Amino acid sequence: MHGTSDTTGGTVGAPTFSPTPPLEPIVSTRRVRFLDDEQLDRLQDAALHILETVGVRFPNARSLEILGDHGCAVDPATQVVRFPRDLVRRAVGLAPRTFTMAARNPAFDLALREGTSYFTTDGCGVAAIDPDTGLERPSRKEDVARMARIADALPSIGFMWPTVSAQDFGQTAQLHEIDAAANNTVKHVQSMVQGEAIARYAVEMATVLAGSREALRERPMLSNLVCSIAPLAQDHAGLEAALVLAESGIPVGFMSMPTLGTTAPATSAGALAMGDAEAISGIVLLQLAYPGTPVFHSILKAWADPRTGTYVGYSIDGRARYAPVEIAHHWGLPSLAGCFGTDSAAPGTWQSAAEVAIDPILGAMAGAEIVTGMGLDRTYTLLYPEAILLDDDLYQRARHALLAERVDDETLALDVIAAVGPGGHFLAEEHTRTFMRTALKRGLTHEMAGHGHYRDPVEVARERAARIRAGHHPEPLPDAVRDELARILAAAGRELG
Amino acid sequence: MDTPPLRPIRPAHRLRVLDDGQLADLRAATLTILDEVGVHCPSPEIRARYAAHGARVDAETGIVRLSPDLVLAAMARAPRGYTMGARSAAHDAVLDGTAMYTATDGCGVTMIDPATRRRRPSVAADVGDMARVADALPAVGFYWPMLSAGDHRATAPLHELLASYANTVKHVQTETVMGAPMARWAVEMARVVAGDEATMRARPMLSALICTIAPLAQDAEGMEGAMVLARAGVPVGFMSMATTGSTAPATIAGTLALGDAEIVAALALVQLEVPGAPVFHSLMTGVMDPRSGGYLATSRDGALAYTAGIEIAHHWGVPVLAGVYGTDAPAPGWQSAAEAAVALTVGALLGAETGSGMGLLDGCTVCYPEQLVLDADLHERVRANLAALDTSPEAIALDVIRRVGPRAHFLYEPHTRDGMRRLEFSALTGQVAADGSARDAVDVARAEVDRILATHHPDPLDPAQSRELERIVAAADADLGAATAAAGGRS
Repeated sequence: MHGTSDTTGGTVGAPTFSPTPPLEPIVSTRRVRFLDDEQLDRLQDAALHILETVGVRFPNARSLEILGDHGCAVDPATQVVRFPRDLVRRAVGLAPRTFTMAARNPAFDLALREGTSYFTTDGCGVAAIDPDTGLERPSRKEDVARMARIADALPSIGFMWPTVSAQDFGQTAQLHEIDAAANNTVKHVQSMVQGEAIARYAVEMATVLAGSREALRERPMLSNLVCSIAPLAQDHAGLEAALVLAESGIPVGFMSMPTLGTTAPATSAGALAMGDAEAISGIVLLQLAYPGTPVFHSILKAWADPRTGTYVGYSIDGRARYAPVEIAHHWGLPSLAGCFGTDSAAPGTWQSAAEVAIDPILGAMAGAEIVTGMGLDRTYTLLYPEAILLDDDLYQRARHALLAERVDDETLALDVIAAVGPGGHFLAEEHTRTFMRTALKRGLTHEMAGHGHYRDPVEVARERAARIRAGHHPEPLPDAVRDELARILAAAGRELG
Repeated sequence: MDTPPLRPIRPAHRLRVLDDGQLADLRAATLTILDEVGVHCPSPEIRARYAAHGARVDAETGIVRLSPDLVLAAMARAPRGYTMGARSAAHDAVLDGTAMYTATDGCGVTMIDPATRRRRPSVAADVGDMARVADALPAVGFYWPMLSAGDHRATAPLHELLASYANTVKHVQTETVMGAPMARWAVEMARVVAGDEATMRARPMLSALICTIAPLAQDAEGMEGAMVLARAGVPVGFMSMATTGSTAPATIAGTLALGDAEIVAALALVQLEVPGAPVFHSLMTGVMDPRSGGYLATSRDGALAYTAGIEIAHHWGVPVLAGVYGTDAPAPGWQSAAEAAVALTVGALLGAETGSGMGLLDGCTVCYPEQLVLDADLHERVRANLAALDTSPEAIALDVIRRVGPRAHFLYEPHTRDGMRRLEFSALTGQVAADGSARDAVDVARAEVDRILATHHPDPLDPAQSRELERIVAAADADLGAATAAAGGRS
């Protein structure tokens, strides 16, 4: 593949492009119900109780108006909104259980369904280890573009979160992140856009990508995640963006991030109930404003270190992975599960694997439709080039552990066992030659180094990341689309600075 | 010093990886293999026992074939659960299907010396030191002598038991006692530790693991020793390490069926000889690297092959020893955590009663002492993740949420103070150095080993028991050491 990088991080003058390998989601026929119906009812009842009696702060006039018009109790002085139970149930009932997160190449559309888990890159870090210098620096748009190309090359990545912030583009960083992602992967892009003005530009970009307003509604190639502010508050800019995006049919998810001990009770159930109330309050707003608009639900709980008060993404007890998924499904909503994003300061350490290795299997066994987020260290903030390859290897281990086993005459191979008999070996058997080609799923850990030894998996990851960076250039956007995105960015830059 | 209570994994949830049809197909394959292909049994004494119970024995080839009826009748006698006793009754491992107890790995040959950090051949003192580390870790449910007592030649397995009993109150499972004479000495030791015959039968403080030889062969000494142990009430398990592509077919199902046949052939004889004897099943398959021919304990899909054996064991109605920690990593690090985590999680969800493999690296040969602490941390993570979520009113804390309300914080709440004390954080990660930087978890684990070795001394054996064990081992040294010398070699 030949081509040169332009300022958008895209490629120009490229005569060919690299094929994007088919997706490999985790399809979990092996499901586990972690919470029983009684527990789920109790948690949901608690969330309803919180919404009804405590309320959620909505620091946004339009949101207050919508909620008030539909029967919520709005306190204008505190901006706290209390939600009648019936209204919550009715509004959540309007949300679709499934929808499609479309991709530039329809072969990579994600038709969300329970039991098939599509994972994404992590986001939105603020620092990057420069792949050329090896030094840490503030993240840039070029990092997003590079990660989009790596995400495009990995079958484990179903859709793309801009992994880091395009801090070299100031107020319009979020739009440049979308641009870098859209130019460098054919997969669905999920942004974290905030503010009405930015959101309107994002809608314009998504419309250009889709081809028309109607096509955007039909097959949205952009979705968006909005974070609430624990405890029990929404974010003004997040609400503005959510309303603008939902109006255009762009799927919007609400993620709460309750921290046990500081912004949430120091018990998991309390943090989950409160986080659920936050996420549901945002979803209710969107369903009341735009009934039937696609939404998703997410709770990413964390812990306060009791010694320092610092944010801990991973305690010993990580039941955060599955409980929010089942809570979302109990509401009849698709779930964005929170996985990966180690607290380790660097990739390739014992900690970076120990903390996250069981995440994907727990999230997938719970049946999450979409799952965060591979590729960042230092609690979602720092991008190392090789981190996503290491996380990808952990993902593939989990995926294989949940694959259906084939038990039939050919795989039982009784005739071969009889032919070899006790004390023999299977090396000379045709059956062995046939099946050995696929018997060993070689990950990062089994690259030969010679003399019967294997290479350091971290080194292999680093090398693979560099190889993808050098050689994988996905199908570029049509010139007209790319140019139109650039025009939108320029206009946004002029308006917003 | 007190040994902390065991913290086995008590999963609140269950998973199935094989459906009933697949389990039936696998069992039918095992029965066909045993009936038509048979297993090679090199011991005339064991072949005679098989023949006495109705198996078809070919004296010329040493092949033993068992009819499906014979196998099914024999396996039906095996108990589904029992107690693996410990010197301290509070540390018994009760195999009742509610908990998974994980053990150390065993029989490594190279020790990273805790003081010098240099590699050296392992000795009996290492077995004792690592037993003390294991004793201090609630995650370790029972102890495999982690290293070979290389300084004791022919009777190394007995010295390993001596060092283990002297340094942990937990149950000890040997995987090196082989042959009837050695087994008889081991039984004597187990009787001394148990104190009386009733305890030896009700809460045996020794169990044993015997490996088969893939494909479809038994080890003469292993089988002869197993019969001695089983008759004495010592739980005996058989492990197949069938390797996909070299000693087993290049398919997971074929590897599982072949390995299961090896295990069941041995278990069936134990049940025919000692009906109702406590036994366990362990199918710990590997895969051949087609580029080098080397054995790999792990691969991307290794967890599936490892864990399928658990359901096969349960389908036979016997407890399982699951392979859950095996790693090919040469040193503690990303790989050692990556390879262990999924198999441990799935193993626990499948209801494995026991599992082993903590603490050794490089294909179960090298002991980095800190790896045991690191693996214990993984155990705690899986334990916490698979426990039931508390959704009681106190845990949901609606009154606290109501009091705090939107945009405040929970720091002042008494509920927070209580709850924060109950939260479980890793003792290895998030540790801060004096200069404020984050300490590396492996360094923290290494320091923890040093602390344990300096301070943790479990309840010692009764002096009379200790003297008696030493007398038994000395007698065995004289007996078996002399026998080996007379035979002109070392075992």
